[in-house]
Amino acid sequence: MPTTDDALTEARRTIEWQEQEIERLRSRGAENRISEDLRHALSLASLTATIAAPSEHGRLLQSIVETAARVIPSDAASLFLIDSTTEELIFEIALGQKAEEVKSFRVPLGHGIAGLVAVSGQPMTVSDVEHDPRHASDVSQQIGYTPHSILCCPLVYNDEVIGVLELLDRKGAPAYSPEDIETLWYFANQAAIALELSRTSRSLSRLITAAMQATSSRLDESGMSGALRFVENLEEDRVYRRALELADLVREIAWRGEDELLLCEGVLRDFIRYLTSRVDPGSTGEHA
Amino acid sequence: MIAPRPAYSDPFGPESLQTLRRLEPIEDITPEWAWGSGTGAGVKVAVIDSGVDAQHPAIGGRVEGYVAITEGPDGLEYDTRPHDDVFGHGTACAGIIRAVAPECEIYSVRVLGRMLSGRGNVFAAGIRWAVENGMQVCNLSLGTTKQAFYQTLHDLADSAYFRNTMLVTAANNIPMPSYPSVYASVIAVAAHAESDPYRLYYNPAPPVEFGAPGIQVRVAWRRGGYVTTTGNSFAAPHVTGIVAKILGQHPGLTVFQMKGILHALAANVTPPVD
Repeated sequence: MPTTDDALTEARRTIEWQEQEIERLRSRGAENRISEDLRHALSLASLTATIAAPSEHGRLLQSIVETAARVIPSDAASLFLIDSTTEELIFEIALGQKAEEVKSFRVPLGHGIAGLVAVSGQPMTVSDVEHDPRHASDVSQQIGYTPHSILCCPLVYNDEVIGVLELLDRKGAPAYSPEDIETLWYFANQAAIALELSRTSRSLSRLITAAMQATSSRLDESGMSGALRFVENLEEDRVYRRALELADLVREIAWRGEDELLLCEGVLRDFIRYLTSRVDPGSTGEHA
Repeated sequence: MIAPRPAYSDPFGPESLQTLRRLEPIEDITPEWAWGSGTGAGVKVAVIDSGVDAQHPAIGGRVEGYVAITEGPDGLEYDTRPHDDVFGHGTACAGIIRAVAPECEIYSVRVLGRMLSGRGNVFAAGIRWAVENGMQVCNLSLGTTKQAFYQTLHDLADSAYFRNTMLVTAANNIPMPSYPSVYASVIAVAAHAESDPYRLYYNPAPPVEFGAPGIQVRVAWRRGGYVTTTGNSFAAPHVTGIVAKILGQHPGLTVFQMKGILHALAANVTPPVD
């Protein structure tokens, strides 16, 4: 199960590997076509680093769960992810007195409140957990903690349930209210986006690795200068810097939500279509 | 010479025009008129959900028919043998319906299971099965947020509407539109916090048109148990039960008539001020 430290380690390893590859390329030179490949790979790398650095997301998830448990005052909180291969929920984040004990548990889908929420895609509140047949009493007994009240919300991304966010033991009230459900849903939504962007980042990192491996294997020893110049001038490269600035803008929009990102993508695509369809002002034609 | 008729206008020709019985003036509709001492007897109600446990005391051993739909290697599979409730959710809904309309005929259409993929197709197949098998009311305390199913479910909801099959749907519990609850052709329901099972509210700002009890309600669950729970899922069956009772007294109502009756019965719809 990836933790914040795992994510940081993974990010560092990827960066180190990329630096080594760039160094290798620098020493061997490259031809223009390879320079293009490299530019593309590095653009992807910078985009993913800006939009979705895994280490940032690990911390962000932790902070989402902590903030949710503070805003909706609760004694404990957990965030589970669905392992679709084994059809189980695995703990990603656990807060509270029994956090360490909880982390080793895997909960079958459909089992307990969290398991039911995962399969139904609907939030659930339980106010008298001990006497509620939906509660996974076996897990509670093994951990040694039976909460009185539970609020559980699905993490939905792109219409798929990818996990659940659960709060335990509402402070200051005997049960979670319908308002609490809606509030937690907003946190769950943020967590789902953070998780998916993090996953995207990891898969793009792998893609970049593969692209760079393919690129380096095509190099010969003749020493082409395109990639070398590109790498040396990277920081001064106007296109590269503009790409980073644009990526920064897109990142800001992406954090607002999937709908906003889709809208942004749609606007950009439409604008490109408009630009490509626009009649060149210098051209001539018949007047209708 | 007889002028040619435009397409779709045949039902209004002199030979084919049907005479129908009009309803009482809508402002005079009362529960006594709407269902009186009716029990929903003979009305077919599909509970499209996780299954219904017929042996639960709240169901009283009476489930008239079953179909469990799953996605198999060669497409959808329909198993009409009696089945159990996978989670308890379907039994909870059926228990509410049974309490409101004790003699309605409950059919368990099981579309929820532990599988995570293919659920949209199975769900759509459940509605299609209900419409094609003469169900008069369907309780849909579930839905999908998947855009991919928007059109399929919209078409199904329309076909149900035109066949006078009432689709009573729970609105989503989270602020995301779920299908088919946002369509005009269904009777969409969300929860209010009162306990009178017959207390309806009308919402003049759809898509959710009706409110029914669904907050901290005691419902049947698996293995003969009961739970106290909250959700729009449990508001919809209250309306399903009321619709079944009304249909028992007034067979053949259309969906738009039913909506008019429910509107007239809503506690927040008051007589005009003179």
